[in-house]
Amino acid sequence: MAMVSMTVNGAPVSREVEDNTLLAYFLRESLGLTGTHIGCDTTQCGCCVVHVDGRSVKSCTMLAAQANGCAVTTIEGLAAGDKLHPVQEAFHKYHALQCGFCTPGMIMAATNLIETYKGDLTEEIVREEMEGNLCRCTGYHNIVKAILAAADDMRQTRSAA
Amino acid sequence: MLNERAFKAVGRPLPRKEDLRLVTGKGRFTDDFSLPGQVWAAMVRSPHPHARIVAIDPEPAIAMPGVLGVYTGADCERDGLKSIPHNPVPSTNFDVKLTGRNGTKVFIGSHMLLPADKARHVGEAVAMVVAETRDQALAAAEAVDVTYDVLPWVADTAAAAEPDAPRLWDELPDNILVDSSFGDVEATDAAFARAAHVVTMRTHIGRVTGVPLEPRAALGHYDGATGRYTLYAGSGGAVRQKREVAEVLGEAPENLRVLSFDVGGNFGTRNRLYVESGLVLWASRKLSRPVKFRAERSEAFLTDYQGRDLVTEVSLAIDRDGKFLAMRASNLSNVGSRCVSLSPLSKGSGLITGSYDIPCATLRSRAVYSNTMPTQAYRSSGRPEVTFAIERLIDKAARELGFDRLELRRRNLVRPQQMPYVNAVGSTYDSGEYEANMDRLLALADWQDVEARRAEAKARGKILGVGFANYVESSIGTPKERADVIVRPDGVEVVIGTQPAGQGHETSFAQVTADLLGVPFDNVTITLGDTDVVSAGGGTHSGRSMRHASTVLALASEDLIAKGRALAAHCLDVPLDDVVFEDGVFGVADRNTFLTWFDLASRAGDKGLPEQLRGGLKVRRDSEMHTPVFPNGACCCEIEIDPETGGLDIVRYATVDDVGRCINPLIVHGQTHGGIAQGVGQALWEQCVIDPGSGQPTSGSLMDYGMPRFDNMPSFKTQIVEVLSPTNPFGVKAGGEGGTTPAPAVIMSAVEDALSEFGPVDFEMPATALKIWSLIQRSRGRSRSSGAA
Repeated sequence: MAMVSMTVNGAPVSREVEDNTLLAYFLRESLGLTGTHIGCDTTQCGCCVVHVDGRSVKSCTMLAAQANGCAVTTIEGLAAGDKLHPVQEAFHKYHALQCGFCTPGMIMAATNLIETYKGDLTEEIVREEMEGNLCRCTGYHNIVKAILAAADDMRQTRSAA
Repeated sequence: MLNERAFKAVGRPLPRKEDLRLVTGKGRFTDDFSLPGQVWAAMVRSPHPHARIVAIDPEPAIAMPGVLGVYTGADCERDGLKSIPHNPVPSTNFDVKLTGRNGTKVFIGSHMLLPADKARHVGEAVAMVVAETRDQALAAAEAVDVTYDVLPWVADTAAAAEPDAPRLWDELPDNILVDSSFGDVEATDAAFARAAHVVTMRTHIGRVTGVPLEPRAALGHYDGATGRYTLYAGSGGAVRQKREVAEVLGEAPENLRVLSFDVGGNFGTRNRLYVESGLVLWASRKLSRPVKFRAERSEAFLTDYQGRDLVTEVSLAIDRDGKFLAMRASNLSNVGSRCVSLSPLSKGSGLITGSYDIPCATLRSRAVYSNTMPTQAYRSSGRPEVTFAIERLIDKAARELGFDRLELRRRNLVRPQQMPYVNAVGSTYDSGEYEANMDRLLALADWQDVEARRAEAKARGKILGVGFANYVESSIGTPKERADVIVRPDGVEVVIGTQPAGQGHETSFAQVTADLLGVPFDNVTITLGDTDVVSAGGGTHSGRSMRHASTVLALASEDLIAKGRALAAHCLDVPLDDVVFEDGVFGVADRNTFLTWFDLASRAGDKGLPEQLRGGLKVRRDSEMHTPVFPNGACCCEIEIDPETGGLDIVRYATVDDVGRCINPLIVHGQTHGGIAQGVGQALWEQCVIDPGSGQPTSGSLMDYGMPRFDNMPSFKTQIVEVLSPTNPFGVKAGGEGGTTPAPAVIMSAVEDALSEFGPVDFEMPATALKIWSLIQRSRGRSRSSGAA
C-alpha cells in the first residue's frame, strides 16, 4: 500500500492505495469521480483522459503514485461552477455527443489541444491530433465541428483579453 | 389530426436535454454505481471453441485470498436456474415466418447462465469466481482447474452448414436450425428461362462486433429483508431484461428491479440478456452481498453479442432492355453457438429485392450454429447485408452487360405511384420517392464533376473511385409501447419504456409531447430505465423508438386533453361542450377566462372534485402497432487509392435519407453520421477474425480490431427527406440505421470503380490496404508477363 497525495480539481486529496492502482481507478473508485471513464485495457480509447499538470494524460496508463504531488483536473472540474467550459458548451451546441461515454475524455483532450496547439487548428489537424480518442456514436463529424468552434471561441476570448 | 402549424418544437434542431450531465461527468453509467459491501465477480472462460466440461476443481481458487465462492453450471442446475428465454424468432404479424426444415419448429438450444455440458465457443463463461476485490476475483479465476474433453469445432459459416460438420447440438442432425423458402418458384423459374441475361454473385458479409465504448457491466443486489433483487445493467430495454432475468431465477417479475440509466452505446449488442446479469444476482443471493461484474475490453471482443455473418448467393434475371424480371437468393446466417436472435436473417429476408420493382423472386433463408459467439441484431440488422447483395449485383450487371449503373437503377426503381408497394416476398413498402432521392443525392454529391476530380486525382498519382447505392430498409420492432403522461403544477412528466443509448429520447420525446399538449419544451421531462417506474415498454431497437413513442404519446395526449377538458369544465363551471382547447390552453368561447395545463394540475388534487375527476391529471396509454415502415435513401462516396501502398482515403461521402417526419434534425443528422461510420468500418477495417487452424479469435483488443477513427473518416454531407409515412400519426419512419444500411455497398462500389483498370475485385470486406495493394500487384504482374510474351 502507498499513500498518494495530489490536488484534484483544485482540492488536496490523500488516500492509501494498492501500489498498482492506476490513476483512472484512483479517481473513480477512491475519490468517486466517476466522470472519468474506462473503455479499454490497452490505452486505445481515450475515455479516461484527464489533465495532469496541464497535460492530457490517459489516466488508465499512469499509476496513481506517479501523479503524487501533481495537479489533476477531471471532467468534473472543468466548468466554472454553473458556467460550462467553452468546449463543453460547443459539444452541447453542435451535438458532439450521443451516448456520452467517450465524451469526458474527448472534452479533456480537446481542451488541452486547443490550449496547447501553437498554430491555427484546421479540420485536418484536429483529426490528426485527436486520433487517440475513439467515439462509436458520432462518426466524429460533429466532434470536429465542436472543437473547431470552441477553438475559435477560446482564441477570440484570449486575444480580446 | 395533428396541427402542424402549431408545432413549436417538432422539427427544430434543439440541443439535447441529456447533454448537461454527460458533458460535466455526471452521467449514470452502470459501473458508476457501487453499493456498500460490494464484492466482485470474474468469469472463467473456455479457451477451446468446443469442449465437453469433464470436471471443474474450484479448490485452488477457493484457497486464494479474498475468494468468497466459485460457481459452475452444475451449481446452476442444482439451484434450478432456467435457460435465458431469448425468444429469437421474430413474431410480429409482418415478420417473415422462419421455420426449421419442412416447416418444423426452429430448434433453440438452451442458454444457461453457465453451461454444465460443454463450452461451445472460445470465451464462453464456464464458471464464476466471486471475491472481495476485482483483482482477487480475476487472479482466482485463473486458478480454477477445468478439465476439458476437447471436441472438433467449426466456425466458418459455409463450413458449419455442411452435413458432416462438427455438430454443436445433439438434438439436431447437423447445425442447420432454420431452413425456409419464400416466393413464387414457378413464376421465378419462368422469368429466368426467358431472360436475356442472368447475373450471379456469391459473397460473405463478415462477422463484426458493436464495440460500444462502455464495456458491459452488471451490479446485482439481493435484499434478504425484502426478498427483492436489484440489477444495475445498461441495456436496450430494462423491461425485457427484468422479465427474462426473473424467468431465469424462477422469481416473480415484481421481485426484481432493473435500472438502466445512461448506456454507453448499444447498436444491438445489449438488446439480449448477458449471462453475467443473471449471475451477479444469483451470487448476491448466495452470498448476501452486492456483486459487481465489469467486462474488460478483451472480454467484450470475445463475448459481446456480435453482428452480421451472412453468406448470400443472388441471381438477377434481366431482359434485353435492362428491366429486372426476377431474382433468386439464398441466405445463410451464422447465429453462433446459441440462438439469441434470428432478426438479421428475418429482416434481410423481407428486403431482398431492395428499392427495385422486381416482379417475382424466390428466397431460401437458412441459419446455422457454429462454435462462435452468438450473433444478434447489429446496427441495421440484416439490411446492410441484403442491400450489399442487390446493389453490388446491379453494379456487376451494369459492368458486364454494358449498362450505365445509374440508368440501370433508374429503369427499375419502385415508383411513388406504386406505393404502397408489395414486393416479391410480401413486404409492403409504405411510401417513398426513390428516384427523386437519387436526383437529390447526385446534386448533393456534385456527381457531374466526378470525371474532373478523377483526372485531378490522377495528376497527383491517386486513383479516384466513386461508389453509389440505393437502399430501402424496414423498421418493425416490438409492437407494444406504453406511456404514462403526468401533468404537475411545475411541468409534464412522460414515463416510457424505450431505452436510449445516445439517441436523445429525453429531447425528441419532449418535443413531441410539448407540441401535442401545447406546453413549452422546457417544461417536459422524460423518465426512462427504472422498472419500478417504467411498467411496460419495448426498448430500443430496429429504429422503433421515435415511431412507437410519438404514436403512443399522440394517443395518450388525446386522453389527457379529454381529461383536461372535463376538469376545466368543472373548474370554470361551464358545460363540457363549451370548453375549447387551443394552443395548450383550456378556455370558453367568447369569454376571457382560461386555464393552462399547470393551472389545471394545481386544481387536480382539490378535495371535493367529482369522483371521475379525481386521481390527478395523468393518463396511461398502451399502443400496439405492427405495421412496419420503410426508410429509404441513396448514398454516394468518393475514395482515393494510392496505388503504391494500397492506402485508401474517403474524400467525399454524401447521403439522402427519407426518415419520414424528422422530429429533431440535429439528432437525426447525428444518427446518420454515426451510422455511416459503422457501415464504413465494416467495409474497410472491422472484422472478428478467427484463426482457421486453432479456432481462436484473434481480434481481441482495439489494437487488433480496426475502428473508424478521427483520422480515417471524412466529414459528411447528409440531407434529410421527409416523405411522411401513412402508417402512424406523425408520419415517422426511422433515422437511426439509414447511415449504416448502404455504407458497405457504397464503399465496395467505390473500391471496384477505382480498381477497374486492374480487373475485378476478387476479395471480401474489409477492403484493407493489403488486399488492394495485392490486387494491383497481381494485375501489374500479369500485364508484365503478358508484355514479355
